Amino acid sequence: MEQSANMELSAWRMKRRAEHSNTQTKLFVGTLLTCTCLSAMLASWVPLQFSIATVFLFAGPHNWFELRYFLMRLPARFGRSRNFFVVAFAGIGFLTVAYLSLPALYYAGLWSGSNWIMMIGAWNTLLLLWIATLVWLRARQNRRRGWISVGAWTWPVALAICSINWLAPEIFSLAVVYLHPVVALWFLDRHLRRTRPEWLRAYRQCLALLPLVVVGICWTLASAPVLANDNGLAWRITQHAGAEILPNVSSHLLVSLHVFLEMLHYGVWLVALPLIGARNKIWDVKAIPLFRHPRGFPRLILGLLLLGLFMMVTLWFGFAVDYSATRDVYFAVAIAHVLAEVPFLLRTL
Amino acid sequence: MKQMLLFSAISLILLASSVSVNADVALPKSSPQKGKVVMNTGLEVATDATAYDARLQIPKAKLAELRAALANEDGDRSTTLGIAYSSARTIVAGLFLFMSLSFGGVLMARAGQSRGQKVLAAVMLGTALVAATAIITQANAGPPPGYVWRNLSQNLNAGRATHGPLKIEIVDEGTGVRLILPLKVTARPDLKPGEE
Repeated sequence: MEQSANMELSAWRMKRRAEHSNTQTKLFVGTLLTCTCLSAMLASWVPLQFSIATVFLFAGPHNWFELRYFLMRLPARFGRSRNFFVVAFAGIGFLTVAYLSLPALYYAGLWSGSNWIMMIGAWNTLLLLWIATLVWLRARQNRRRGWISVGAWTWPVALAICSINWLAPEIFSLAVVYLHPVVALWFLDRHLRRTRPEWLRAYRQCLALLPLVVVGICWTLASAPVLANDNGLAWRITQHAGAEILPNVSSHLLVSLHVFLEMLHYGVWLVALPLIGARNKIWDVKAIPLFRHPRGFPRLILGLLLLGLFMMVTLWFGFAVDYSATRDVYFAVAIAHVLAEVPFLLRTL
Repeated sequence: MKQMLLFSAISLILLASSVSVNADVALPKSSPQKGKVVMNTGLEVATDATAYDARLQIPKAKLAELRAALANEDGDRSTTLGIAYSSARTIVAGLFLFMSLSFGGVLMARAGQSRGQKVLAAVMLGTALVAATAIITQANAGPPPGYVWRNLSQNLNAGRATHGPLKIEIVDEGTGVRLILPLKVTARPDLKPGEE
C-alpha cells in the first residue's frame, strides 16, 4: 500500500512539475512577445528619441554584463583551446586598434582620408579571415561530424564572403551593424539549450516571428518621410543606421529598424541571460572560474569588473555632459565588444 | 586527380592566351570637365504639362546632406555607393571569388564519390577560371551605363517619371546647373543619310 501511495504521489508531483513548467514557458513566451512588440512600436513611433534614451540607459550596462558573461565562460586553464584563445584575443586587439587608427590618423592630419572605401574593404577582409581562422580552429577541436564539414568548408565560404565584401565594402559594414544585434539571440538560444531546454522550442518559434516583425516595420515605414537630421546628434544617428549609404531608403525606416534590433540585443544581455537559469547572483565573483581557481587571477578579475563599473558610470556622466561626443567615442571603442562576441559564441557551439 | 591536373593545365594555357588577346572592355570616355563627386542620391525626371519653368526640387534633408558633403569636400572621403564602381575593387573581389571557387572545387573533387559531385566540382573549377579571366580583362560588374535611363525618352513622351541614381559633382567651370544622362544617341534627325 505504501508503494502504491508513493507511486501516486510521484505521478502527482510530476504532473505538478509539468504544469509549473508549462506555466513558466507561457510566461517566458508572453514576456518575449510583449517586449518585442513594445520595442517595435516605440522604435517605429519615436526612433530618434528612443535611440537616444536606450543608448544612454543601456549601452554601458550591457557591456558590463557581457564582460561578466565572457569571464564566466572563460576556462581557468586553456589546455587544448590555447591556440583558439590566443588567436581570439590577438585578433580582438589588432582589429580594434586598426579600426580606431584610421579616424585617429585622419583627425591627426596624418592621413588625407583617400581610399577610404579600400581601407574599409581591407578591414572587413581581415575580420572575415580572423573569424574563419577561429571557426577552423574550433572545428579541429570538435570532432563531431558536423564540425568536420564546417572545418573543411570554412575557407571557401570565407573567401566567397570576402569577394562580396569587396564589391561593396560600405554596404558590407552596414550589414555587420545590423547583424551584430541579432548575434545576442544566438547566445540566448545556446544559453536556453544549456539551462532551460524545455523553453527552447517555444523560443525558436518566437524567433521565427522576428522576420515578420522586421517586414512589418519595413512595410509601415517604407514611405515614411525622412527624419530631420539638421542637428549633429540626429545626423549621427541616421548615419550610423546607414542613411548616407542607402539614400533611397527612408532614414526613418533605417533608424527604427536599427533601434529595434538594438533593443533586442540589450534585452538579451541585460535581462534574459542574467535572469534565466542563473545559479549565482550577478555580483558573486566566486562563481567565475578564473577567480575561484587556485591558480586563477582573482585580483585581475575583480579589477576588470570594477573597472567596467567605473567606465559604465563614466559613460553615463559623459552622455549627460556631451551626448554627441560621448556617443562617437563609445561607438568607436565598442567595436571591441562586437569582436569579443565571436570567439565566445563559437565556444558555445 | 591526374585528370583534374590536366584539365587545370589546359585551362591555364587558354587563360594565358586570353592575356595576349587583351579583350578589354572599352573604358568610358573621360568627361571634358574633371569634377569631384561629393554625394550620391537619386534623381527623378518628371514632366508637368502645367508648369511654366523647369524646376529642380531638392528636399530639405538632401540640401542639408549636400551642405555637409560640401563642407567635407576637402577631406576627400569618398562616399561612393553601389556595387563595384572601382576596377581595383572588382579585381580584388574577383580574386577572392576565384580562390573560393578553387578551394571549393578541389574539396568537392577530393570528397566527391558520385558522378554528380564530380561534375559539380568541375563546374566550380570552370567558374573559377572564368572569374580569373574576368580579373585579367578587368570587366567591371554591374549593368551597362545608362541602363536605368534607357526608357527616358518614352517616359517623357508618355508623361511618366523615370528614376535612377545620381552623382552630384562639383566642377570648376560652367554658368549653370548641368544634367548629364548616360544615354546613347541612336539617330540624329538633323543629319541627312550618309552624313555623320
